[in-house]
Amino acid sequence: MEAVAALDRDAELMLRVRAGDDTSFALLLERHRGPVVHFLYRMVQNPSVSEELAQEVFLRVYRSRATYEPTAKFTTWLFRIATHLALNWVRDGKKEKGQESLDEQVLDGVDRQVPDRQPTIEQAMLFEVKMTEVRQAIEALPAKQRAAVLMHKYEELEYAQIARALSCSESAVKSLLFRAYESLRSRLAHMSG
Amino acid sequence: MNCPTKRNENAEILLDYCAQTLSPEMTAEFEIHLEQCADCARLAAAQKEVFGALEAWTPVPVSPNFDARLYARIAKEQAAPAWQLWLSRIFHPPVPYPLWKSAIPLVAACAVLAAGLAVRMPDAATVAQPQLHAEKVDIEQVEQTLEDFDILTPAVQTPTGSM
Repeated sequence: MEAVAALDRDAELMLRVRAGDDTSFALLLERHRGPVVHFLYRMVQNPSVSEELAQEVFLRVYRSRATYEPTAKFTTWLFRIATHLALNWVRDGKKEKGQESLDEQVLDGVDRQVPDRQPTIEQAMLFEVKMTEVRQAIEALPAKQRAAVLMHKYEELEYAQIARALSCSESAVKSLLFRAYESLRSRLAHMSG
Repeated sequence: MNCPTKRNENAEILLDYCAQTLSPEMTAEFEIHLEQCADCARLAAAQKEVFGALEAWTPVPVSPNFDARLYARIAKEQAAPAWQLWLSRIFHPPVPYPLWKSAIPLVAACAVLAAGLAVRMPDAATVAQPQLHAEKVDIEQVEQTLEDFDILTPAVQTPTGSM
């Protein structure tokens, strides 16, 4: 069990946010913006949607600052929110792989700026050869297995943290991961060498 | 060491070994096992390939104005009426409530309703009370009625006897 006594740095920042310190929220955003967006991008495989969901994650964090209690690691809570939103999105079948629109206007009135993603020739080749297969292999996984793999592999969360994020037992997470990696091994085995 | 490919309870050792998150002692122990177990060695090699392939999947960069858009949403929400914020917290909690927790208000409301009805409904015992009183009062009448029957009986039998 994650002890409250060993309060992590993020939980301390969040407690400051609860006390009204918005600078601490900016620090939390700085630390976790990338991992949350990347996790959601790999879950939904759509850059626009992943950023919208990530915005919702941080909005919910800010919204619930007054009632925040550090009962678990901050990242566990953060990824629980992100996983919940991503699984809902997948479940609701919002899978239209929309192209990014440069003139997309979001409700808050601030235009979404598309980042500069000019790939090098090497990167382009890598994406052509490997990435499509990796993306398809990940996408083919059931949503919960996908979330478990992404939190385990990319975010390096512990089994207990993944279990809390997915609201299941630690042994269930291990089973999910084992089945997921079994599928990935069979799909991606030919990519070696 | 129990073989991870044959015993499920320590299957994560293989994953942790390939992810390089095993302790040095466990890593050394598992490497000895790998030398003796062809199944584990084959699985570990395949798992490392999978991890290698996944690592190549580089994430897309975050939009430069991500924070600005978020702060604009926060500002918009804070400018909204309090009841809207309250509704947002109820209908969009940071993490979902378990189903049994959401049933608590419903159960509580039903309990209050049942208690209210019980207070307003008349007690079954008090409804039955008048009938008990009626039986006590009628004993004399019953005796009187039986006597009346006795009086009437010869009058009824007289025509039969005469036949």
